[in-house]
Amino acid sequence: MSSITLKNICKTYEDSGVKAVQDFNMEIEDKEFIIFVGPSGCGKSTTLRMIAGLEEISSGELYIDGELMNEVEPKDRDIAMVFQNYALYPHMTVFENMAFGLKLHKIPKAEIKEKVEKAAKVLDLQDYLDRKPKALSGGQRQRVAMGRAIVRNPKVFLMDEPLSNLDAKLRVQMRTEIAKLHNRLGTTMIYVTHDQTEAMTLGTRIVVMKDGIVQQIDTPHNLYAYPCNLFVAGFIGSPQMNFFTATCQAEGDKAKLILGDYEIELPEAKAKALIEGGYAGKEVTMGIRPEDLHATDTQVLATNPSCEMHAEVNVYELLGSEVFLYFNFCGANVIARTEPDTKAQVGDNVGFVMDVDKIHVFDKDTEVTITN
Amino acid sequence: MNQKLSTGKKILIYIALTITCLFFLLPLFWILRTSLVTKTQAYQMPPDLTAKLTFQNYIHIFQKGDYARNFLNSAVVALLATGISVAFGSMASYWLTRKKGSSTKERLIILAIQMIPPIVLVVPFASIMKKLFLDDTWVALILAYLSFTLPYVIWMLFSFFDGIPKELDEAAQIDGCTKLQTYFRVVFPLVAPGLMATAVYSFLVGWNEFMFALVLTGNKTRTIPVAIAALETQAGIQIAELCAATIVAILPVILLSSFIKKYLIQGLTFGSIK
Repeated sequence: MSSITLKNICKTYEDSGVKAVQDFNMEIEDKEFIIFVGPSGCGKSTTLRMIAGLEEISSGELYIDGELMNEVEPKDRDIAMVFQNYALYPHMTVFENMAFGLKLHKIPKAEIKEKVEKAAKVLDLQDYLDRKPKALSGGQRQRVAMGRAIVRNPKVFLMDEPLSNLDAKLRVQMRTEIAKLHNRLGTTMIYVTHDQTEAMTLGTRIVVMKDGIVQQIDTPHNLYAYPCNLFVAGFIGSPQMNFFTATCQAEGDKAKLILGDYEIELPEAKAKALIEGGYAGKEVTMGIRPEDLHATDTQVLATNPSCEMHAEVNVYELLGSEVFLYFNFCGANVIARTEPDTKAQVGDNVGFVMDVDKIHVFDKDTEVTITN
Repeated sequence: MNQKLSTGKKILIYIALTITCLFFLLPLFWILRTSLVTKTQAYQMPPDLTAKLTFQNYIHIFQKGDYARNFLNSAVVALLATGISVAFGSMASYWLTRKKGSSTKERLIILAIQMIPPIVLVVPFASIMKKLFLDDTWVALILAYLSFTLPYVIWMLFSFFDGIPKELDEAAQIDGCTKLQTYFRVVFPLVAPGLMATAVYSFLVGWNEFMFALVLTGNKTRTIPVAIAALETQAGIQIAELCAATIVAILPVILLSSFIKKYLIQGLTFGSIK
């Protein structure tokens, strides 16, 4: 068992007064794969480094398996970490790199050899054990860094953007390898990334951070479908959600969003949330994901299509299985992810329908979600 | 891009290199030649290039004077000053590059210390050592040399330690290293070339230093540079013996440099090949 508890964790840099992490609270269960995601400078790496013991915790408490870890040295926390630049020891061979931690823990030589060879086999590194890191490719170095962590059989794996130095193809490949590794080892993993595809595909739960503050902690599906605020809605999903400023108009228990010349009739549940929240007659931010906007010349897959709108296509991007259409609508730059059978071309005036069941509405001032 | 040089250019380069080598090596050859002839032949003009070579001057300096003792003094003082400055200087430098927050202030202080002209320190040093009853001891000379080798070592090693990613230290800590283990098992092997280059320079400073040695040493702890200078007697300059003593003084430096040449070049070019 290896659970981690973060209680009111804060990090303030004394010299600059910068608050890197504020009031971070989380319970991480055994065998979970947790992803910290957010833009640069949001405090995700700092939080990971505090868990590793590489950064002091300014206030709050960190527990690993119920044991307070605030003052415990990194070497005594029984954790392993994979760094962004791998941090392999350049003067040691691959074998020595992987065996280094075990040697320090005074593991018998025969056992070290067995463990390193086993890990090398898993990571397909058997042929490179005698090489120095400089003689390896980026992907191989990354695997050695993983191997160095695996052989230790630690309570917790920490990974700080381990794939960001790899090319796109290798990144996808290694992402799958990491997912397999987690399934096989069943160790608690915490993974930092700014790539939301990695976050969505790997994590059992994702922590979205911004300016040192946790925005939402949830499963990938829930984050995507039920973002708690405008930031999460915009950050999770690629291409990102389209946002418009709209006015809410209520009549009895029905509500509409007025978007320029268009009126969008909202489903009952969404209308109720807006009316009960007192948003009738007020401006709100409306969000719709690109896949919930459909070109009308295609086979529309929306469950509740409504409000046909027209706009001129600015950019056409064919990705093979789908097409992105970029257009300007009601002062906003909008992307629609449509089916590849669309005939739309740049300059065409195309009709689009929205899936109103998938509309998200946010408070214009607080940016908090009113209804998903 | 490797450009193939024409034969003409190659010849010109070799001529330039030969002239440069001769410029530096001729005085050395002349010292060597003088050390192997008698005093009379040494002063002969024009020089007699067919003179019989002899090791008499070498035998003489070791038999007549305390040259062996001077040699030992120089070796002990230079080696200990180097050892201490490299041991402590490297750790100080490492700490300054790894400490939290900026170390600009500390770095400037180290640089400022190096700017103090050594001659300013000679008289106060002599007076302090006398009061501490340390005059004419190895300790006095080692302390004096440390005052300029230590800041030099710290300053030189900044660039080497700065060049080693901090993530390596952190990886070592997570792997189970204490701070000292991190330094000795991970960082130290990586700065070894830099340490070698710095150590050689530090050794040369101690080995060649004259001013402090002249003031702080007596008969017991006289070092080679002072001993060589002492060969200029009232009876005139013992030029042949002086040259023999110089050759003996140069030998360890040449041996040391050739032994660690590989590291020296690696160390001197460390910053430029990053």
